[in-house]
Amino acid sequence: MSNRLNISFLGKKLNNPIMTASGCFGYGLEYKNYFNPNELGAAVLKGITMEPRNGNPGTRIAETPSGMLNSVGLENPGIEEFKKLIPSIKKELNIPLVANINGKILEEYIEIAKEVEQIEEIEMVELNISCPNVKDGGMAFGANPEMARLVTREVRKVLSKPMIVKLSPNVTNIVEIAKIVEEEGANGVALINTLLGMAVDIRKRKPILGNIMGGLSGPAVKPVALRMIYQVSQAVSIPVLGMGGISSTEDAIEFIMVGASAISLGTGMFGNPTLPIEIKKGLEKYCIENNIENISEIVGAAHPDGGAAYRNRLGGNNEIKG
Amino acid sequence: MFLEDVKVIENIQIADNYYLMRVEGKKIPQHSKPGQFFMLQCKDNSKVLRRPISLHNVDGNILEFYYEALGKGTKEFTQLSIGETINVQGPLGNGYDTDLKGKNIVVIGGGMGMAPIKYLIKDLKDNNDITFIGGGRNAGAVKIIEKFDFENIQLKVATDDGSVGIKGNTVDILKEVLKDQHIDIIYTCGPHPMMEAVAKVAQENNIRCQISLEERMACGIKACVGCSILTKKGMKKVCYDGPVFESTDIVDVDVVDPNGGCK
Repeated sequence: MSNRLNISFLGKKLNNPIMTASGCFGYGLEYKNYFNPNELGAAVLKGITMEPRNGNPGTRIAETPSGMLNSVGLENPGIEEFKKLIPSIKKELNIPLVANINGKILEEYIEIAKEVEQIEEIEMVELNISCPNVKDGGMAFGANPEMARLVTREVRKVLSKPMIVKLSPNVTNIVEIAKIVEEEGANGVALINTLLGMAVDIRKRKPILGNIMGGLSGPAVKPVALRMIYQVSQAVSIPVLGMGGISSTEDAIEFIMVGASAISLGTGMFGNPTLPIEIKKGLEKYCIENNIENISEIVGAAHPDGGAAYRNRLGGNNEIKG
Repeated sequence: MFLEDVKVIENIQIADNYYLMRVEGKKIPQHSKPGQFFMLQCKDNSKVLRRPISLHNVDGNILEFYYEALGKGTKEFTQLSIGETINVQGPLGNGYDTDLKGKNIVVIGGGMGMAPIKYLIKDLKDNNDITFIGGGRNAGAVKIIEKFDFENIQLKVATDDGSVGIKGNTVDILKEVLKDQHIDIIYTCGPHPMMEAVAKVAQENNIRCQISLEERMACGIKACVGCSILTKKGMKKVCYDGPVFESTDIVDVDVVDPNGGCK
């Protein structure tokens, strides 16, 4: 494999721009029977909170046209158990691990950030201010610009590791919120989290999901994700981790061309467990066929100026030559 | 892990919405256990999730799936013709504990819950005495039993409408069986109210009972945490910790879909 897919992302050298979407990849080893997880650029692990959470009751999954709804509600074993898990994960994964952190209230975000700061094996942090499936915290932080500012600012004070803020698409003006978190010290933004939706069981005459509403993901949300990444990447000077319905190499290229420096895979892996490998090979092939020395050359290529201004603002931070 | 396009060699309607599909692959895993399941991929890309289908039987390079065509995905499976391929992933989850010898066993299958029963009995029958109780709404729901090749098995059938076997349900038969003989373990798969009633009878008689639960799932390998249920041992994933559970571990049976049966 050449170095066409090598990138620098938030100061970390990644073998390729392919990552996992938090909540879709367990704690890093669940897919190892289907592909070597070390083939990924980085692994974003399932979201954690300070205390263990049971998540939401009842049916949590519903399939929708070209998509799915979930209302898992951040079921996780809590930070203490997470800390015990990490060394065994790191034994098998020599790629950067990204912790996805969540809180119900501001203080919990700060506390968990302090904990993750201490975990040596965690190289980056994804600050989740956009989970649509928890009553407290989650999307409440990501949907309100001032709350997004506050939580990013306060977490930044206690976290020195590179921080990606995962934004909610369930807002009127995503650019405004992206600019705010950048101002407050985010090193990157991840978008999009799931779109709030619902589905009804017409036989039972009630919502399918136990939590009534859930997060919509899959190919159905791809046009929304592309639009938001396109808008945000023209307004900020930090890298975008793009996700939302990527299920092929062509999808991945679209995301990069609208401004994503790296991409995350989620729902697409459920139907196709070897998707990351297919996309990795596909991107490599695309670069060769199109005489692209490094994949980062096409970040933002679909911008009106071909992405030159954005790539310039990123300062070549994405690219590793040689 | 087996992830492969396999060839459909038979796909027939058994009754109503019940179908039996046999597929052939080059490297079918022989280590599958009764009670495990496979994730079957739809050809229509707009269906983003695979469908969890119980393993009905393994026979050399052939996998058998007994499935109910209820939703758009499983209805698509009914249209697969001989020679077409389908991508299957598995075996997944745990299975029934069949490492037993010289035991008196009751196996209870209700309706679609007959899916894992064929393989389960095949695995148990040489070393144990088995009473199989099959039940369903009507003759169609128990018709698959005709395709079971059982020898030296006590077979008892009940239907709600009395069209086949006795008019009644599997739990009534279970109670009668327990009057006559000592039973070491009960395995069941079927509609949730049936399994709940079976589990209660088992607990009242201090008999170990294994049940197979069903939940909607996305990944099938505990990566998405979509199929978690609350058990006495904490949150468990139906796809990975199950689908087979000890009945006594299930705290609140209402936490699973009341319309659910088994994988």
